[in-house]
Amino acid sequence: MRIGIFICHCGSNIAGTVDCARVAEISTGFPDVVYATDPVYTCAEPGQAAIEAAIHDHRLDGVVVASCSPRMHEPTFRRTVERAGLNRYLFEMANIREHVSWIGKDRDANTNKAAELVKMAVAKLRNNRPLLAKSFEVNKKVLIVGGGVAGIQAALDCADGGVPVILLERESTIGGKMAKLDKTFPTVDCSACILGPKMVDVAQHPNITLYAYSELEDISGYIGNFTVKIRKRATYVNWEKCTGCGACSEKCPSKKTPDTFNELTGVTTAINIPFPQAIPKKAVISAEHCRQLTKGKCGVCAKICPTGAVVYDMQDDVVTEEVGCIIAATGYDLMDWTVYREYGGGQYPDVITSLQYERLLSTSGPTGGHIRRPSDGLEPKHIVFIQCVGSRDKSVGRPYCSGFCCMYTAKQAVLTKDHLPFSQSYVFYMDIRAPGKLYDEFTRRAVEEYGVEYIRGRVSAVYPDGEGAYVVMGVDTLLGRSVEIKADIVVLAVGIEASRGAAALAEKLRISYDNYGFFMESHVKLKPVETNTAGVFLAGVCQGAKDIPASVAQGSATAAKVLALFARDRLENDPQTAQVDTRRCVGCGKCIRCCPFGALKETTIRGEIKADVIETVCQGCGLCTTTCPQGAVQLSHATDNQILAEVNALCRC
Amino acid sequence: MPVLNSKELRIVGFLCNWCAYGGADTAGVARAGQPTDLRIIRVPCSGRVDPLFVLKALLEGADGVLVSGCHPRDCHYAAGNFYARRRLEVLKRFLPVLGIDDARFEYAWVSASEGQRWQHVVTSFTKRIHAMGPAPHFDDAKPLLRVADMALTALRPLGTAQNAAVNELKQVIKDKLPELNCVIGWQQGYDGAHATPLFMKTPEDVDKLSWGPFNVMNPAVYLPLFKGKKTGVVVKGCDSRSVVELLQENLIKREDVIIFALPCEGTLDIARVNEKLGRYTRINAVAYDEAGVTITADGKEHRFCMNDFAQGKCYGCATPMAVLADTRLGEPHKVNPVSSVPPELAMLDDMALSERMAFWRGQMERCLRCYACRNACPMCVCRDYCVSDSRNPHWMSQDADINQKLFFQTIHALHLSGRCTGCGECQRACPVGIPILALRQQIARAVAQLFDDYKAGLNPAALPPLLGYEAHEKNIHERDWK
Repeated sequence: MRIGIFICHCGSNIAGTVDCARVAEISTGFPDVVYATDPVYTCAEPGQAAIEAAIHDHRLDGVVVASCSPRMHEPTFRRTVERAGLNRYLFEMANIREHVSWIGKDRDANTNKAAELVKMAVAKLRNNRPLLAKSFEVNKKVLIVGGGVAGIQAALDCADGGVPVILLERESTIGGKMAKLDKTFPTVDCSACILGPKMVDVAQHPNITLYAYSELEDISGYIGNFTVKIRKRATYVNWEKCTGCGACSEKCPSKKTPDTFNELTGVTTAINIPFPQAIPKKAVISAEHCRQLTKGKCGVCAKICPTGAVVYDMQDDVVTEEVGCIIAATGYDLMDWTVYREYGGGQYPDVITSLQYERLLSTSGPTGGHIRRPSDGLEPKHIVFIQCVGSRDKSVGRPYCSGFCCMYTAKQAVLTKDHLPFSQSYVFYMDIRAPGKLYDEFTRRAVEEYGVEYIRGRVSAVYPDGEGAYVVMGVDTLLGRSVEIKADIVVLAVGIEASRGAAALAEKLRISYDNYGFFMESHVKLKPVETNTAGVFLAGVCQGAKDIPASVAQGSATAAKVLALFARDRLENDPQTAQVDTRRCVGCGKCIRCCPFGALKETTIRGEIKADVIETVCQGCGLCTTTCPQGAVQLSHATDNQILAEVNALCRC
Repeated sequence: MPVLNSKELRIVGFLCNWCAYGGADTAGVARAGQPTDLRIIRVPCSGRVDPLFVLKALLEGADGVLVSGCHPRDCHYAAGNFYARRRLEVLKRFLPVLGIDDARFEYAWVSASEGQRWQHVVTSFTKRIHAMGPAPHFDDAKPLLRVADMALTALRPLGTAQNAAVNELKQVIKDKLPELNCVIGWQQGYDGAHATPLFMKTPEDVDKLSWGPFNVMNPAVYLPLFKGKKTGVVVKGCDSRSVVELLQENLIKREDVIIFALPCEGTLDIARVNEKLGRYTRINAVAYDEAGVTITADGKEHRFCMNDFAQGKCYGCATPMAVLADTRLGEPHKVNPVSSVPPELAMLDDMALSERMAFWRGQMERCLRCYACRNACPMCVCRDYCVSDSRNPHWMSQDADINQKLFFQTIHALHLSGRCTGCGECQRACPVGIPILALRQQIARAVAQLFDDYKAGLNPAALPPLLGYEAHEKNIHERDWK
């Protein structure tokens, strides 16, 4: 082989703590290395051109670039060597930035380590073989998990682009958290008025199939060809027949069912439609609260239903769909704020979450849009908002900022003044984070026009004053003194965490998630809506805290990714798949038993049973290679020989 | 390049591309300072990390090896790390029997978002390795030769099986013979004190069938060679477990094999018998009684009591009768099951790590690389493509050094993880008497500890534990990094 080495300075990122010229010099002593240099920016246009030139000038048939992580630029450099006529797999990378220069300051040790990593890359490269991709067909259909505003936007954009969409929603209606909001910042326009038409569009769009009250049971397959199983939970109402007239819930005698849509601020009936603008506008029976289902006698709704839609013995149904890619838009839930014992930990009826307060503000809420205290139904005069309840608080394991609480608190304070002109609102805050368009102006209006009193500091305790109100004790860090405020109602801006069940979904999707359940994007800056699993995209808060405009933007961004993917009729597989050496294979089938993807099957060659790889199904994990004692199955580009070469390069010295 | 003098130790990391490698990148992006010792090899999945890579690194001079992948249930490939977890845990429990401190090998789960966790894992692992210092090498150990006391208290009476229903069995085999390709058993070898395999094709062949304490070899080793041809096999209890394991692994088909079984009362340790007989020109007579054998060699009588001269495996044998058979004749002695540590393993258990290393150094110096151990093993099915001969994949070289020889033994042992039935043929076949069975026994013990007392070759329908996984492993606990 004739190998060329490029030790990238990455400006001063690498050269700052690694002697790149020295590494290049050492590299010339490695076997088969005929050329070594140390460009300042290898990934830049001149840097890539230099690689191409060196391949021609020095007749290189293998290239090693030592620079950043291969997770960053391996595809870039593979394209570079391919342009110069080499197979893209005759290229190796040594990660001397993330794994060397950025984590150690000892220049000698770093230089030595970088040279060893190059030595390993050379050792592996000498065992590389050219690999060629195979192409396969794409199923041009997308599954969107989650029908909040991000999922709705993604669904509409995909559908408008001509792609059939399956939209999956766990609740009985789409709309997500946004549907629960009364107004939205910074324009204070009505949430239902801007979201409602989009929801109707989803219902009416010929390209969108909506599965509400359904969950993802199982996913198998790979980009272009996923098979998903969807569990349609029993609603006990035949939605084909239900017209959404609401007669059933008017007559339902079980009237004390907790109203989850209203964040438990009110009660509803056991059979109900969550809110007037629900999509689909269909009734669902709560099995836990229905008298017919729990006690076996009642049957009022079945009698009253003009279309005979009620089916008490309905069972869950599992349907299978084939899709080409998946968008996760599962949103968020509030963290468990009852850990805050100092705020009553959920014990005081008038200490509520901001989402509950939102329902009190909303015309479709339990109070019809009149702000009334949950405890006695009286109008509050003093309202205290406490921010960062479960955000930026390491003591409860929530170090991150939930992003949008500053803004909605300002909005709620403004709306409070609109609803109750003689009220006074106070906001305890840590910092005001209002970086969006028109955001800072909005918070200023809350203070300057609406007289909201902002107090910079934390609250140490909330307790009842014995006369029906509450005392909020806190500190004003700007004035440097403690404050006590009498409050009729206390609203907590509770921090967010990933939607309940997000981790389980991530495991099914085979994507990573962080400690809080938020899904991990492929690159925090450059690939914000992609994941490391090809064909799985992320939109909205499931990836991290963001407000409505950002969620909508991500919804559209994922749609763009889907449409770009589906612009091609065939995709190329990654040729890093397993290969069977049929001479070595004894047909024991251990590999077939272990393969997580069913990518290996039995075949008969000259009367003998052998293993065979289905290359388009193989995902390249290499479990079969480890399982086969004969070494008959080898994962291309991570063969036993290649890994052993790296081990030997490192240990035998 | 040598390791930087006094500054660094050689630490090798195998990281899955999706989680741990990403976590290491995240740590780098966050400029999370780490010791410089670690060198990372990127693999697609922790499931790709063959425990033998780890052993290879440790034998070739690494001071520490770290494997890291996605958290369980978070595998990019759905289940790769579940398999890895089982295999790596077995490896961890295997290392000490070789004399390698298992603290030099660790595996940890780190997600791509956990840069801080990665920093912590690397820092604490490096600190641990530095605290232990450079790894001792087999090459530097002073050879230690020690022989295990093989005679233990047996779980049942050991005898010479002279009342076994051999004649009845011969008749059964003769009746079945027409439908069979052949029946594998034993016959008297070059003298009365040795037996050799017998391949019965005619009724006259059947008359040569012998049964007794000299029937040491395991006839199951031949079965895969007759794959696809209907074959009979006469088995002792231990042999039957090999047949079951072969069935379990789809290496032979149940409909192709007819199993004939007699109760085994123990077999003689031929190496010790030969040792006591010393040099002789001919065996004059072999006389059996209930408790043992009297061999007259060159006119001199030698007494071999079964209780003193049985194979080590026979003392702890809980399956004197075949676990699976088509024809069972005779009544086996009752076994009083008590868990006992095999003698070879017990000897190693009593040694310190450094002594074990010295022990294997000494034993491997004696190894001839004849591969009789491999050829005698019924579960060794690579045959012509054994990595020791074919050189591809490049696991081994021709060098006749300690590391190569020991590495072959560890390859064999690890390939047998959860598969070895403990028949002991590897050790019996060894012409220089290296107690290599101990390596397999240690793995079998680890497998039993980890996976509900699983023993290979008892149930043809059981899934071998290293070919399966549980999302929540009962006995494998994630080690924290505090």
